[in-house]
Amino acid sequence: MQQTLTVPKINFTEVFSTKNGAIYQSDSEGCWYIDFAGKLARFDYRNLLKLKKAVYQIDIEDRLLNSTKSADLEIIFICACDHCYVLSLLQIIKMKELLQGTFTMLELNHIIFDRLHRITA
Amino acid sequence: MKDIIRVKCLLSSDVETLLNQQIKKEAHSSAIYLSMASWCNRNGYDFSADYFFKQAEEEREHQLKIYKYVLDMGGTSISPDITNIKLEYNSFREVFEDALDQEISVTQSLKNIAARCQKEQDFVTLEFLNWFFREQREEEYKARRALELFEVIGEEGTGRWQIDKHVGQIAYNSEA
Ligand SMILES: [Fe+2]
Ligand SMILES: [Fe+2]
Repeated sequence: MQQTLTVPKINFTEVFSTKNGAIYQSDSEGCWYIDFAGKLARFDYRNLLKLKKAVYQIDIEDRLLNSTKSADLEIIFICACDHCYVLSLLQIIKMKELLQGTFTMLELNHIIFDRLHRITA
Repeated sequence: MKDIIRVKCLLSSDVETLLNQQIKKEAHSSAIYLSMASWCNRNGYDFSADYFFKQAEEEREHQLKIYKYVLDMGGTSISPDITNIKLEYNSFREVFEDALDQEISVTQSLKNIAARCQKEQDFVTLEFLNWFFREQREEEYKARRALELFEVIGEEGTGRWQIDKHVGQIAYNSEA
């Protein structure tokens, strides 16, 4: 007898994407998946905020003007998070762009929710 | 798409940032008052030293009140590091001038947070801030009254000794 496997269905919604990467949201898991720098990584609420903080904190302008011969790499390590990124300056700029777009979309989604809930409640 | 961030936290990131700045400001106030207490004590103004010790404790309470509120609402409160605290004052009067300046700047920054809350229609935080506005009425009143003692009593002769004695008696008891 043949058994049918039921694969739990996870629905992803694309929050924002650029030609360098994308961020998806999973409503059922309450988390986000970041497709960037060749890997797909899962971030919960706390870790997504920590990633945002870590990336936004990098002074890109300062790095560009800095002419020392140190490596052009940044390690983005997030406490209590399984993922870590080793990014070049160019990748950091791309990552920042991706995050900025994502948080703008999340903000927009929040505004819609806020207005809708107040009318239907 | 669900609004996951809203489920986790009531505060917008802007309001959260502003509240964390206020936490720092209250901590800074507390440190300043502590330093003022030290100066007054060293220079023989015992009543004023007590007054500032009490103020320092109150500011610490304000700091914790906001700190806990941010956490209760699902946000991240940040324990601030405080530097650059003035150690020496040029005169007894300068201490009180600085104290009033400090209270005014606290009121201003609270107004700034409230304005942001109003814009976002964050009525929850706005209501929370009401307690602080009431408190600022008292804080500014006391600081202003203390400074006025310098005019009313005058600093000549035993003036400063008199002023010091009266500082501890300043109380705000408006029912309005
Ligand atoms: Fe205060
Ligand atoms: Fe105060």
